[in-house]
Amino acid sequence: MSVFQLNVNGKVHSVDIDGNMPLLWAIRDVLGLKGTKFGCGVAQCGACTVHLDGKAARSCITDVGVAALSKIKTIEGLSYDGSHPCQKMWVELGVPQCGFCQPGQIMTAAALLDEHPHPDDATIDAYMSGNICRCGTYPRIKDAIRRLGGSATS
Amino acid sequence: MSTKVNRRDFLRAAGVGSGALVFGSYLTPALQAQGLIHNLINGFPVDGIPVVILKVNGDVVIITHRPEMGQGIRSSLAAVLADEMEADWKRVTLKQADADAKKYAVAFPAPVESDVPLPFPYNTLSKDPKLQYLISPEGSQFTDSSRSMTAYFTVMRLFGAGLRLAMIRAAAKKWGVDAKACRAEKHRVYGPSGQSSDYRWLLLGAKKETPTYDEISAALKKPEDFRYIGKGKEPMPFYDALDLVRGKSVFGADVELPGMLTAMIERCPVANGALMSYDAAPALAIDGVRAVLPMFPPGKRGGGVGRGFLPHAGVAVIATNTWAAWQGRRALKPTIKWHVSPHDTYNSVAFRKELEDATSKQGNAVRKLKDVDDAFAQVGVDTKEAHYYVPHLAQTPMEPPVAVAVFQNGKMEVWAPTQSPDYAQIWTGQVALGIDPCGMTDDVCNEKARQASTVHVTMLGGGFGRKSKPDYIVEAAMLAKQMPGVPIRVQWTREDDVKFSYYNAASSQYLKASLGADKLPTALLQRSALTSFFGTLIPNYSTPDLSQAEIKGAADLRAATFGGGAYPYASGIERAQGLEDMPYDIPNIRLENCKAENHIRVGWMRSVANVYHAFAINSFAGELAIAAGRDQKDYLLDLIGKDRIIDEKTFIDQSVERFRNNELPLAAIEVPTVKGGKANQVVAGFPPDTSRLRAVIEKVAQESDWTNKVAKYKNMKGRGLGIAAHRSFLSYVAVVVDASMSNDNKLTINDVYATIHCGLAVNRDRVLAQMEGGVVYGLSYALLGEITVKNGAVVQNNFDDYPVLRLNQTPRIHVSIVDSNEPPTGVGEPPTPAVAPALANAIAAAGGPRLRAMPFAAKNDSGSTDEKIVFL
Repeated sequence: MSVFQLNVNGKVHSVDIDGNMPLLWAIRDVLGLKGTKFGCGVAQCGACTVHLDGKAARSCITDVGVAALSKIKTIEGLSYDGSHPCQKMWVELGVPQCGFCQPGQIMTAAALLDEHPHPDDATIDAYMSGNICRCGTYPRIKDAIRRLGGSATS
Repeated sequence: MSTKVNRRDFLRAAGVGSGALVFGSYLTPALQAQGLIHNLINGFPVDGIPVVILKVNGDVVIITHRPEMGQGIRSSLAAVLADEMEADWKRVTLKQADADAKKYAVAFPAPVESDVPLPFPYNTLSKDPKLQYLISPEGSQFTDSSRSMTAYFTVMRLFGAGLRLAMIRAAAKKWGVDAKACRAEKHRVYGPSGQSSDYRWLLLGAKKETPTYDEISAALKKPEDFRYIGKGKEPMPFYDALDLVRGKSVFGADVELPGMLTAMIERCPVANGALMSYDAAPALAIDGVRAVLPMFPPGKRGGGVGRGFLPHAGVAVIATNTWAAWQGRRALKPTIKWHVSPHDTYNSVAFRKELEDATSKQGNAVRKLKDVDDAFAQVGVDTKEAHYYVPHLAQTPMEPPVAVAVFQNGKMEVWAPTQSPDYAQIWTGQVALGIDPCGMTDDVCNEKARQASTVHVTMLGGGFGRKSKPDYIVEAAMLAKQMPGVPIRVQWTREDDVKFSYYNAASSQYLKASLGADKLPTALLQRSALTSFFGTLIPNYSTPDLSQAEIKGAADLRAATFGGGAYPYASGIERAQGLEDMPYDIPNIRLENCKAENHIRVGWMRSVANVYHAFAINSFAGELAIAAGRDQKDYLLDLIGKDRIIDEKTFIDQSVERFRNNELPLAAIEVPTVKGGKANQVVAGFPPDTSRLRAVIEKVAQESDWTNKVAKYKNMKGRGLGIAAHRSFLSYVAVVVDASMSNDNKLTINDVYATIHCGLAVNRDRVLAQMEGGVVYGLSYALLGEITVKNGAVVQNNFDDYPVLRLNQTPRIHVSIVDSNEPPTGVGEPPTPAVAPALANAIAAAGGPRLRAMPFAAKNDSGSTDEKIVFL
């Protein structure tokens, strides 16, 4: 066990935990932020996506010791009220079905749009291919990102 | 309602005269409407009110009793009530109901006089002679079979309309005007001379109103007056959207209780196995690990074939956080010894041969029309035959199974994402009582068990049938029982989910047709072998350690339950899903069910037996069309023939009738509103109707520009269209796939078009969403899905070796709805079955191979001799 300073959503938390604990479990079990989801544990599904210094990262395979070096943002920190453009567009288009994967989808999409404000389809495909949705909301996710990036045709 | 019963007697029998409300046995919607207004305003406990609560300030709390797993049912059913009530959605909040199956069952009282025939043959499964259920307790919260809207649309409308009527009457009395001159709109009643009042100020008056069932029925809105329903004036609300995108919705794993510990379980990899020995020490040495507990005592077999929802044998590591439990489990694993016979001899590759051998021989006829043998024996007759295969599939909902339980004062309290709150309550209640959870017990036992457990239903991170089976919830209860007072959360990994599913059946399908001069079949034989889920739910000779008497008892139970059938054959439910209701108009038909044993747990996955039945019959139709040089769509319409209801007299087993309707004779719910209607007319329900199948085929052809594209692709190498159509869960879906095949056998899916006929599409946007998602789900298993088993243990682990479709692999999807004001039918399961055969037909039309086995895409280590394509 070691003490780590975790900067999560702009607030610094001091936690005394196993440094090999994946960030996901520190966020969920120790800090009690439940918006970041466990879907696979091996970076296959993206449900656990958070931002480390603004870049999308899979928290299920990121050791907490490594994450402590970065500013961490979770879905709770993306906006306080659901006013982030991605969240608003997700609601407008009725993207979620069960919604379990959507915090991860939105965190990935937000990072994508930060890096590429006007992504083409190939860029959207490449970025979003790491986030699985078993309900099959992909068409609406793609539509939402296209609209946000100004490339919507419909 | 039979004409012999007058409505007054009926209502009296329902208890209207007594003034007492028995919420445990739902009586009539009118009574409910009266009762709830009365109760609410008089401040009776909220518990007594099943569907809606009016607060003193006029706000409305709607109890959503059906679990939400992405189908949008929380919003949809509540909005149906709000629409009829003319409630302002801004003043509506939703509250998820706990498990309470009897409260939400819809029943009519049994006939009070012997000459009163009930208008439906759907006798109660509960064996309670006093009640005839339209929606049985077993089905009232069981969110499965796409039946929420079908079952509760009319019920919710009646509640809403009853409340609106009471408000209007209260206002009319207050103003001294005729109620007929008043109308309600968005939480206000408006009078004839400009008066208006918020519902809030009418509550006291409304409580005295007792509109009758007939009056409420008459007050139901006309479709053009709907506010949210169908093509209403306003968009259908999506209550949970904002919470979902903020990560605020509470799923099973998000439940946090003081002092809660997390358990991870190392399970016996083989069905019906037992723990032999283990060493707790290495796990206990991990920081944070508090306890190591076996699920069953060593030597006692856990769940598997014939054991229902009993968990597999296992050893749990219980810790202060998930990571510690996981680490402890890793340390524990090498120390465990299992007893794995007899199902450790199960190998899925060899088993496929068994299934194909079974369908190569005559099976039990389940539907017969004239004689196929004579037609096949004609001299010089042209025949065609093919075998199709679908492997076991796992549902893999995005949220792996998880549940929380705490046991104190002899009672269990549970929080879980579950499609079957009642199963969860009964099984965890049995654990609380110390009864060996055996399932399928008698009513008295079930009722006692229900009293011993409270089940809170969380949001489900997907279900797809996996969360119909509460084994993971039973695990939490079993551990909680061993640590009284401590809340225990059982968290499954994705590997657990892949390896310990209740898999969709593996199936072999054999089809043979003789063809006439017009290349249309003169006879059709279909043989279906499938590993029935009843082999898992009910004990049988494959279940180890049973006495002959127990096996006999189980066989009797099975014969009497859910469509009957005997191990190792299919149940009535499975036979009714795409086999017995085969829609083609062919003069000679024989449909057979062949033998298939269970050696791992089998359950059901989105669209269940329709997965393999729709794949086989639609692929065969495509093969015949292409061989005949005919247009696939025209040929399919010729096969379906003239508009008609499928003649069920040709079914061998008439007991299947109730499954034809998914036990949902909605028409019967509306019986009292059908003046002078004959019983058998209103009972008709939803028999297979080929006019609806034709309607979706014609619409999807139009949407996909079928005719022009067929002409265009004829001159193009490597591009083609495929079509398939299938009825399931009372709805009809047709799918067109536009595919390209490269010279090196690579598939590109350009577009998918899908059309549904689901009666009135109550929540149009969610119907479209289910269609989009259903196409993705269907493509996933068609192309990629395969669970294999070696020595009784599932080989696959996670999304790397059990891949599912990703965003970059998803084609353009175009979905549409056939307009209808008929009673609504299912939309969750129906979108998937036609996808795989439409894709197979498109690949063949594009010059690719004919794919007769799923998954279509080659895998490096498959070693299969099936035709495959490459899909990246």
